[in-house]
Amino acid sequence: MKCCEELSPQEVRIEEQNRGVENRHRQGRERVFTILESVQHLKPMIDIERARYFTESFRTTEGQPLILRWAKALKHTAEHITVYIDDHQLLVGRAGCQGRYGILFPELDGDFLDLAIEQLPQRVESPFDIDPADAETVIRDIAPYWKGKAFHEDLAAQLPPDTLKLTYDPADTLISRFVVNETASFRTSLQWVLDYEKVLKRGFKGLKEETQEKMAALDPLSPTDNVVRKPFLEAVITVCEAIVLWARRHAALAAEKAAAEKDPARKKELAEIAEICAWVPENPARTYHEAVQAQWFTQMFSRLEQKTGTIISNGRMDQYLYPFYQKDKAEGRLSDERAMELLECMWVAMAQFIDLYISPTGGAFNEGYAHWEAVTVGGQTRQGLDATNELTYLFLRSKREFPLNYPDLAARIHSRSPERYLCEVAETIKDGSGFPKLLNDEEIVPLHLSKGATFEEIYDYAASGCAEIRMPNRDTYTSCCAYINFAAAVEMVLLNGRMRRYGDEVLGLQTGDPRGFGSWEQFFGAYLAQQTNFIKHAFIQQHIIINTRPRHFASPLGSVLHDLCMKNCKDLHSPVIEGGIDLGYFEFIGYGTVVDSLSAIKKLVFEEKRLTMAELLEALERNFEGREAVRQMLIHSPCYGNNDPYADSIAKAVDRAAGEYTKTYSRELGVHLDLRYVPFTSHVPFGRVVSATPNGRKAWTPLADGSSASHGADVNGPTAVLLSNFASKNYDYRNRAARLLNIKLTPRCLAGEEGTRKLVGFIRTFCDLKLWHIQFNIIRRETLLAAQKDPEKYRGLLVRVAGYSAYFVDLSPDLQDDIIRRTEHETL
Amino acid sequence: MSAGHKSVAGVVFNIQKYSVHDGPGIRTLVFLKGCTLACRWCSNPESISPKPVLAYNPAKCIGVGECGRCLEACTYGAITQDGEGRIAINRELCADCMYCVKACPAVALTVYGQTMSVEEVLGAVEADAVFYSRSGGGMTLSGGEPLYQHEFAVALLAEARRRRVSTAMETAGNVPFERLEAACTHLDVLLYDVKSLDPAKHKAGTGAANALPLENLRRVRKAFPGLTIMARTPVIPGFNDTEADIRAIADFVQELPGVSHELLPYHRLAKPKYGYIGREFPMGEAALEDGLMARLEAAAALVRG
Repeated sequence: MKCCEELSPQEVRIEEQNRGVENRHRQGRERVFTILESVQHLKPMIDIERARYFTESFRTTEGQPLILRWAKALKHTAEHITVYIDDHQLLVGRAGCQGRYGILFPELDGDFLDLAIEQLPQRVESPFDIDPADAETVIRDIAPYWKGKAFHEDLAAQLPPDTLKLTYDPADTLISRFVVNETASFRTSLQWVLDYEKVLKRGFKGLKEETQEKMAALDPLSPTDNVVRKPFLEAVITVCEAIVLWARRHAALAAEKAAAEKDPARKKELAEIAEICAWVPENPARTYHEAVQAQWFTQMFSRLEQKTGTIISNGRMDQYLYPFYQKDKAEGRLSDERAMELLECMWVAMAQFIDLYISPTGGAFNEGYAHWEAVTVGGQTRQGLDATNELTYLFLRSKREFPLNYPDLAARIHSRSPERYLCEVAETIKDGSGFPKLLNDEEIVPLHLSKGATFEEIYDYAASGCAEIRMPNRDTYTSCCAYINFAAAVEMVLLNGRMRRYGDEVLGLQTGDPRGFGSWEQFFGAYLAQQTNFIKHAFIQQHIIINTRPRHFASPLGSVLHDLCMKNCKDLHSPVIEGGIDLGYFEFIGYGTVVDSLSAIKKLVFEEKRLTMAELLEALERNFEGREAVRQMLIHSPCYGNNDPYADSIAKAVDRAAGEYTKTYSRELGVHLDLRYVPFTSHVPFGRVVSATPNGRKAWTPLADGSSASHGADVNGPTAVLLSNFASKNYDYRNRAARLLNIKLTPRCLAGEEGTRKLVGFIRTFCDLKLWHIQFNIIRRETLLAAQKDPEKYRGLLVRVAGYSAYFVDLSPDLQDDIIRRTEHETL
Repeated sequence: MSAGHKSVAGVVFNIQKYSVHDGPGIRTLVFLKGCTLACRWCSNPESISPKPVLAYNPAKCIGVGECGRCLEACTYGAITQDGEGRIAINRELCADCMYCVKACPAVALTVYGQTMSVEEVLGAVEADAVFYSRSGGGMTLSGGEPLYQHEFAVALLAEARRRRVSTAMETAGNVPFERLEAACTHLDVLLYDVKSLDPAKHKAGTGAANALPLENLRRVRKAFPGLTIMARTPVIPGFNDTEADIRAIADFVQELPGVSHELLPYHRLAKPKYGYIGREFPMGEAALEDGLMARLEAAAALVRG
């Protein structure tokens, strides 16, 4: 075993950077590195132009159909918003000012936007700057228009009292309770994928002409045609014109800049940009460069349109760009290096956008303002054949050689994925930056067939957001869904409907004093009652949200790119679009925390009787102060994530009960509101409202994330984590959606070609087990240091030495130092 | 093998999942207690005694102030408070009743070694079967010397075979040939330690002569021509860490048809385990000098051509 292999390439890069060694991949990538370096450390600015022009237009269109108002506002924005050509860039199109920037959506935050902007300089967590004159404009001109019109106010006013108190502080509905948390008021839409292929193949001119034909075919005597279809089609035509107008303004600016440019190379590039922007996205793309530019324009214009939760994803780029790549390569116009450069120009542009959340709840859900423009590669073709192509490998290579945190890369895996593909995926994972995440066709395809998709549609799915997927012309559900804090349900069983954070207020069901419970069955029954009650309130929220959103939000751009919206002449945010499949969800937050808590109670209180319920409650109330022995007993009870049937059977029963509710009641909403385990960063703010839990977790600390084990509770290695995940799923229920799973490995586990092959074997088994999603963290030295400081959170961290492996935290401090030191040693 | 072998039981001190360095694919390592050598550098000191061993990890102990349950549990007076709020174990007085282990909430007190049946071990091994079929992995027996409990080891290998689980075994080969032969009948991969060709050094470092292990390796090669055999040499400071030592070993291995050879660098990861079971760490601060492994690898590579 070679010593240097202990480091992931990422660690090598970090170390080299510290020594001032130039990144060896910089050569040939000077352009994108220069752009990146020029913006990387800039403080983000808030650009108010989008908010200003959008509001300006809305003032003049009162009373008109909403989708038409939206399209007109976009056109007004396209006419007036500043356009930019960035130095060195080959792609153009920004939703705001140069550098790192965020934009405002007053239609979401109008009710408190003025307050938020005033407080912005004091906000510790958000390093945003705003020009004082702009702040004044927001407070004086923009925010006042939206007062009383914001979605959030409308929603809060409609929630029944029992639902309201689990959602917001009834005294101030801007404060979330983080119990049954709605997410529809801090973003306009669910994560989404646009059908970019449509733009590349038909251009907005083609889409507009098709719409004009539809318009001409309307029945002038039909009231529906007049009231519904006509304004929809008019809005679609307007938005097609708007994006083309915006692109042409870029063409004009590029031509102007080209004329003034002294450097002949740049002059040529600018002239080419001018030519491309004059052609796309109006017309079908003719070259790879045009296709990439048309996609980027569409993507950026959709940002001006609305605040899509975790952003619009990029779809299957290796598929829809492939014909252009192939043609340009065959005709000698394109090299692989140039193909990657254009993509990387897109990535650095993406990295400059900051997904600003004005809402404090929104901010807590997306710490670090992460956004996921997931690029999907691999998988199967619409006909069910393997879809891997040369471009697939270029995406993976680009991720290894230019490993920016944007875009998020998702690799689809299926049972016949070629060995080379899986090896390159494994090598990219080994790089250590966490990409790509993997999505499993063997789970996703049959599951969506059962929900009504055709083979062709689901074979063509794309990653969307964190772990979700979309069928861009079949999905029709855009209402953001509830995130439910089930660790709070455990607390409510222990405190008879209350939470320590909220004092004496009764929030949940009063299931009785647990000290009077005679059996585990009684306790578990009380938990399930609280759990079901939470889900019920989530569904009540969702019912109101679905029917309230269309009064506040419209998406003419999203609609023109959707077959079913065009067919039915209905806006994408309509409650029902005929022929669509509504794939919603509710989020199970704190799974590991809940399961381990229940498991500890079952084992220690009811079976072994090593603890009484009163002793447990007392220890929890004291947050284990002076009760460390109790806490240790709890921690060492059977935990989820170890392939231990004791804990996993509880996990499965909890999952099944949640699925059972939605199986029965989601049909009332006409939506697959399915059980999902994808937390963003919500397990952190959710943890902040939950006091000490019976799994030994201390008060106000984060809950377990996704379908992963509690922090440090998985001590039987990564195979056990996968098997627990498998064992806790109810495969006979279709009422499930994504499960996010994090796996941590050390670079040494994956060393060399042998390590790559073993990781491939691991991935293939993940595929066999029909788990939805997996992502890997290849542990870095900093992590080892952190593990040393805070061993409890890293109980499951394996370190590997020749011949045998050990849990890092089981090692004595001096040996931990030894390993850390040797790591340093081996980087030299 | 008779149908009764499933009820054969032995003492196992660890079952390690997701092992990726001891044989092909993703494997489960089953560590059997007992050894026929006593190497100074042993990385599993808890394995040497064939019996269960009490272990105490002070880093996990929450202290007498918070707990002290072990003090009450021990009726032999073997556990006392130390000066730092934790505990001290007098192993002379300890009767191995393990009541303290049951009482310890923090798992600071544990037992190395529990009696398991073939059925139980294979049950744990087969839990990961879905990973073996994709990676070409399986079960690896380790130790100690797995052939110290030779009947148990052979029963495990036979049962694994019957269940179509690929089998590997690590051995130092210091056992009667017949035992090795019985095991190899059920083996896909044999991982065989070759520690030193120098009889005196071998005796000093491991407590046993090297004639039997070396002869056994030759005989196994001959008797099982189809068996994958990987010879492995742990490179130990002050024992076999010269180019001459390594060349001699590589020469020996080179003579055996189809036997591969791998060098494993010495590590000190076992040190805390010595403390847990109340033993001094005999290797002290000894370490391999920088760059040595690369030189030894090069020396061995020269021999291999």
